[in-house]
Amino acid sequence: MNDSLPLLSLCLVWPLLGAVSIAVLSNRDLAKRWALAVAGIELLLTLLVAFYFDPEDSSWQLQETYRWLPSLNIQYQLAVDGISVWFLPLTALLTLMTMQASWQNVQSLTRLHLALILLLESVTIGVFTATDLVLFFLFWELTLPPIFLLIGLWGIGAERRQAANKYTLFMLFGGAPLLFAIILLAQNYAQQHGGVWSFSLPELLATPIDLALQQLVFALLLLGFAVKAPLLPFHTWLPTVAMQAPTHLTALLVGLKLGIYGIIRFALPLAPQAAFEYRWLLAIIGAITLVYAALIALRQTNLRRLLAYASISHVGMVVMAIAAFNQQALQGAVMQLLNFGLIASSLMLLAGMIEQRLGSNELVHLGGLAKPLPRLTTLFFLFALASIGVPGSNGFVAELLMLLGVVEGLPVLSFVALFAAVLGAGYLLNYIRQGFWGPVVQVDVQRSQDLLPRELLLLIVPALLVLLLGLMPQGLLANQSLAVIGWLQRVEQPQWLLVKN
Amino acid sequence: MRFHGFDVLVVLFPLLAALIIGCLSFFGWINGEAGEKTSSRIAITAISLALLISLASLATDSTEVYDYGTWLHVSKIIIGFKLFTGGFNLALASLFAVLLLVVMRFSLNYMHREAGFHRWFFTLSLFAAAMLLLVLSANAVFTFIGWEIAGVCSYWLIAYAYDRPIAAHNATRVFVTNRIGDGGFLLAIGLAFSWLESADWAAINSGAVDLEQADATCLALSFALAAFAKSAQIPFSPWLARAMEGPTPSSALFYGGVMIHAGVFLLIQLQGLFQQAPLAMTVLVAVGALTTLYSVFVGLTQTDIKSAHSFAISAQLGLMFVECGLGFWQLASWHLAAHAVVRCYLLLTSPSILYNSQGRTVKPVAPILANCRWAFIASLQRAWLEVALDWAALKPVQQLAKDMSYIDDHLIDPCFTAPASAIKTAAELAHSEEQKIGANLQSELDQFAQGSGLAGKLTQWTAVALHWFEQHFILYGIGRDSIQLGRRLGHAANHLEQLLLRPRYITLFVLISLLVALGV
Repeated sequence: MNDSLPLLSLCLVWPLLGAVSIAVLSNRDLAKRWALAVAGIELLLTLLVAFYFDPEDSSWQLQETYRWLPSLNIQYQLAVDGISVWFLPLTALLTLMTMQASWQNVQSLTRLHLALILLLESVTIGVFTATDLVLFFLFWELTLPPIFLLIGLWGIGAERRQAANKYTLFMLFGGAPLLFAIILLAQNYAQQHGGVWSFSLPELLATPIDLALQQLVFALLLLGFAVKAPLLPFHTWLPTVAMQAPTHLTALLVGLKLGIYGIIRFALPLAPQAAFEYRWLLAIIGAITLVYAALIALRQTNLRRLLAYASISHVGMVVMAIAAFNQQALQGAVMQLLNFGLIASSLMLLAGMIEQRLGSNELVHLGGLAKPLPRLTTLFFLFALASIGVPGSNGFVAELLMLLGVVEGLPVLSFVALFAAVLGAGYLLNYIRQGFWGPVVQVDVQRSQDLLPRELLLLIVPALLVLLLGLMPQGLLANQSLAVIGWLQRVEQPQWLLVKN
Repeated sequence: MRFHGFDVLVVLFPLLAALIIGCLSFFGWINGEAGEKTSSRIAITAISLALLISLASLATDSTEVYDYGTWLHVSKIIIGFKLFTGGFNLALASLFAVLLLVVMRFSLNYMHREAGFHRWFFTLSLFAAAMLLLVLSANAVFTFIGWEIAGVCSYWLIAYAYDRPIAAHNATRVFVTNRIGDGGFLLAIGLAFSWLESADWAAINSGAVDLEQADATCLALSFALAAFAKSAQIPFSPWLARAMEGPTPSSALFYGGVMIHAGVFLLIQLQGLFQQAPLAMTVLVAVGALTTLYSVFVGLTQTDIKSAHSFAISAQLGLMFVECGLGFWQLASWHLAAHAVVRCYLLLTSPSILYNSQGRTVKPVAPILANCRWAFIASLQRAWLEVALDWAALKPVQQLAKDMSYIDDHLIDPCFTAPASAIKTAAELAHSEEQKIGANLQSELDQFAQGSGLAGKLTQWTAVALHWFEQHFILYGIGRDSIQLGRRLGHAANHLEQLLLRPRYITLFVLISLLVALGV
């Protein structure tokens, strides 16, 4: 173990430094290369975190604690465990892909754009590593400004400003209950520890909470995270953003499921009894979201909207699996969250590439893409099949585990999951049928150019990972299993319950 | 013999061939006619090697299972990669490998100078690997992996001429139909894990003895659903005719020789389980017999050779299901093998048969049948099976999707509507409303209606609210607003009730209440 180097802080600060240093570079091309180098080094740093991570240890690792606001006992505390550790390399990889994808698209304010992307990377890593609730909340809210500006300034739709507003208002609405719940939790801690406050997650997990308060906290946290996830009925921002925002940003938004991560990390373990009592509610919300979004996706004619609804539908499945409360479902859920970063965001980037070539993702403007764009079509097929969970892809492993868990934990809802699996094949393949197959009607399609080497390079990495994780999932799953087992024990039998008995 | 471990090569060689051809073709290293020899040689060499190994392994005659280690291990779910190294599975694998080799050699000439030559051999190699895995795997999960990948290959080859809309449409439809069966398979795997804690075929068959009969029936029926879908039994039969859209060699291989038999193979694999579930056996007999009758009846009026074959195939498969249902497993396996060979040959030769029998008339149907006009129409329309399925399953889902879209766009989104425009409209509305009621709150002159502090504000709001109430309900009285409002409410209620009385919602409610009842 490496004690001397504050690795997590380095991961957090390095992109921030990169973002600031871009201000110094006046040459645009140089700034682009420098930003790419920063993102590349960040990927290496996060891989180093994964390398130093010890899967045999179920506790918090690489922990760093510094006093921040001593009066309230708020700490600057970072740590990772088996659930969160792989999100760091994923974030870094996605940022790198995003940067490559936007290489030629962003013509105005390029340096600001790069700085914002790096800033977003930094705060996202903060969200995944913070174990002090106030620090977490700070990072959580700090994801807003860069996303607001990215949508508003570089959006591709005419209503990008409104979309940016919509996103911001939704997230602010979700933020308030989170803050309230955090304060309630800290106050509860203070009551039991003679007025000493604490916002540290490990300590709050060990603090008993009575059931009534748990119910309130659970409801608030769930509400706050459901907006970001997004779960029904707070999902309407995602289709809007998908239509208006630059596609590489949408790829980041659908790839990094911060909302579900929050539910797994905070909402359930902090209010375990309430969560266990109301797991049927969680399961039903998940099931409804799953089927509802899949049904709507069936009717979409625009690829970006379709992918947005597909993403919502998959979120529903993950939430349902979490509610099954068993190891296989949870491991499947966590793996599926990682899969999103590879599959959903690659599909979104491909949609962006189509948009860039033809100026549209609407079916009427496409048709017969397979002939002029064989490589793009091949990769789209690969990711689409992974998204519907065809064996050989990582999507299959996660779906299988989630389904096995649901059959055991919530047998009735497994029918819903299977129905949605049929719908999932329906909407994606139907889009492929109309958009990629059939005769070429549009002249633009006929003339469009297949993937450039740069684009190919940026998609090959996730494509290989999809296949690799699909064929050999055990390495990743074993890495997470101890943390997941610990999580389940905490939720089903909280430490303070054991102490009390 | 130590030779057994090599059985995995039977699967690996075609997979490797698929990978190589796929990569070469994706990066443009083989292209067009010049590369034809390379890709076809890779594919044919791989399948030949696979065939040789399986034959050699067959000669050693053992019936054990070789364990290659654990693929997935999460809590009590352990999925091992195990292959059969003998018995019926290996024999069938060898037979399939022979058919695959024959068809690949045949398509060397048949597909010459076709645009998708490399795609063709890539898909065939991948299909070979999937099918051999399906047959050899001693674990339900790996059988499923082969099962699903074979389905994807079939999807690709039906849409081989993807620029033709009909081919694309049929392929999509066939794949989605098959997904229903796949759902049954996955459910069965899930049930096997939660009741028997293993998905090895041996464990399922031996564990079935200890299961309660209801559970065993449930498990068997889930597997049977998968088999019905894959082997085109009623109600899934119509997909087979659509699947004939692909090139002839692929029809011969997928629907004549190899893949279509996967369903029957699954049943034969699960003898032990089905023998514990008499009800499931009865269902097999009923569905098989029904399919046979249906296919023979419809087959009478088919005028093109591939459709005639497709109905003959489902008739034969129906017979195999009947045999399985009656417990004649041995007969069913012989029937399967014999049918695979004969049908593959018949389909491969069907273009030549057409060529050679030009001008010769087909023997007509017996006059008694031919004169029965209703029967003729019914047969010609394929007994409206597909129409009925569309009406019963596809239409409601589409309608439901339409309703949900409507709800999303017109109810949920406006509730949290795009703020910028909403605030703008709200502000404008408020402004006009103020002007209408004469309480111009923005105006400096109208100090009366302005308040400050909490109490003042409260007073102000109350005043505005009361004013509004008076304006709308007292002043106008039973005038415009309340009647209009009432009428609108009535319309909405009527609309809702009509909507709720639609069959799809009634079905939905019944389904939900069933689910809830099951859950309780």
